[in-house]
Amino acid sequence: MKRWQRRRLYAAVAAWTVTAALIAPFLWMVLGSFKTTVDFLAFPPVFVFAPTLDNYRQVLADNSFLRYTLNSTIVAAGATGVGLLLGVPAAYALARWRRTAIGVVLLMARMAPGIAFLIPLFVMFLQLQLVGSYVSLIASHLIFTLPLTVWMMVGFIEAVPVEIEKAALIDGCSILGVLLRIIVPLTAQGIAATGILAFIASWNNFLFALVLANDNTKTLPVAVLGYIGYNSIQWGTLMAAATFITLPVLVLALCVQRYIVRGLVAGAVSG
Amino acid sequence: MADLAAAPTREVTTRRKRRDWTPELLSLPALLAVLAVMGFPLIYLGWMSLNRWSMVGFEPPRFIGVRNFIQLGEDARFVEALGRTFWFTALGLASNLPLGLGIALLMHERFPGRSLCRALLILPMVATPAAMGLVWVIMLDPTLGIVRYVLGLIGISHPPLWLADPDLVVPTLVAVDAWMWTPMVALICIAGLAALPSEPFEAALVDGASALQRFRYLTLPMMLPTLMVAAMLRLMDLLKLIDIVYVMTGGGPGHLSETINLYNYLAALSYDKIGYGSAIALVLFAIVMACTLVLIWLRRPSS
Repeated sequence: MKRWQRRRLYAAVAAWTVTAALIAPFLWMVLGSFKTTVDFLAFPPVFVFAPTLDNYRQVLADNSFLRYTLNSTIVAAGATGVGLLLGVPAAYALARWRRTAIGVVLLMARMAPGIAFLIPLFVMFLQLQLVGSYVSLIASHLIFTLPLTVWMMVGFIEAVPVEIEKAALIDGCSILGVLLRIIVPLTAQGIAATGILAFIASWNNFLFALVLANDNTKTLPVAVLGYIGYNSIQWGTLMAAATFITLPVLVLALCVQRYIVRGLVAGAVSG
Repeated sequence: MADLAAAPTREVTTRRKRRDWTPELLSLPALLAVLAVMGFPLIYLGWMSLNRWSMVGFEPPRFIGVRNFIQLGEDARFVEALGRTFWFTALGLASNLPLGLGIALLMHERFPGRSLCRALLILPMVATPAAMGLVWVIMLDPTLGIVRYVLGLIGISHPPLWLADPDLVVPTLVAVDAWMWTPMVALICIAGLAALPSEPFEAALVDGASALQRFRYLTLPMMLPTLMVAAMLRLMDLLKLIDIVYVMTGGGPGHLSETINLYNYLAALSYDKIGYGSAIALVLFAIVMACTLVLIWLRRPSS
């Protein structure tokens, strides 16, 4: 074997080992979701077993779980939609007229702990009798979907050649017309990627829903905690629920993998 | 590029000889939203932190000045959580950055399936943290967990209790956090490596520099700005760590894995000390900001 071939082989083995180790928890999760309790309690763990769909049946038979799925979808779609509606025009202004103040706001939003907004929002929503409403959840999720949208869209809009806009303006098109007829169609792909990232961020958010949701509006990340009881952990059902929650996100993320890191730079508000 | 792009539009719009309010109008809705869900709450938070404030008990808020902040210094649980958060952060940075750079160097090599490998790297960081935290609880189970089994295969027959071990609970949580976020560091480094110029490396090869020397004197210094960006992102998130701690240990055993953010949440919203919790939130915000600014300052061009 030539030297460069050997090097390529070593690199492949090492890189694939690392990757396999990183995705092993997902495989274990999916595998576990098909196990019966008996298989789950076996040690050493079994890798080959008669798969069962009971765990999924149990998760999906639970009406409240479907309710939580609907809640998660409503909140994530709402926070994404409103974020895009408000964020795209702002990103356009930022990209073309360069208002640096917005950049400072974005950095502040990225640094601020979520809890610093959550405590006052909780008190405010309580006074407005909005705690437990979708409105409170969507509004609070704007804290991260809006900065993420602006940040991502500025990059996409800056890549649009300005001559097209100039021509449209001279032909008598209004700024709003330019935004709707030129910017939005030309950055459609970017808008889709941004929307997906905002959706993921909102879908994954735990703390805000923990505080602002009630039993009717609870979202999936909070609901999954219910499978860890004080005495018993329903392992199989927990794995099935975790698979059910994460799988859509993983699929969506793979669709926009090129933009993930850029989104995380602006988007991941933890806590 | 932005300059070039902005110039023509400006020319068109300023021909009207009036102050052009278009950008302000376009960003007004977003600005109002930011004020409503971020600006105003922050001001309110500042006001609440100066009050004794509780939601139940029908006791009206009472202004007590900076007493909440003074109380912080006397609150052993807060001081411990503060130190512990820095410990979390230090362990996290010390593990994420070298590992991330290492993975990036590996993924920078040419090998079959490279793009698939890179695509799979994104999965841990986008998976719902609360759900994956619970999956890790099951995997780390001291009697039946897969981790115990894998360690047994390599000869470690009496693994520790992980999350129940007072000395290991923090490193274990850092490891789970590292599983989620080291790939992000790696992806940032991969982008950084791809942007490095190739000439210095070719010159070093001609001069007979060893691989180690090339890494030490070329890759590492040239990657420093990239590593700083990654460090900044990780720093901001590690200081605010809460999700996985909440679902995996709830801060236990005892309070031995409680971070400031978790204590903050418990104090304000579980123990109903809203004013005191607000003070903690402000301090946490100040800490994140101070640490980030220090890092930005370190990153400044040295010339």
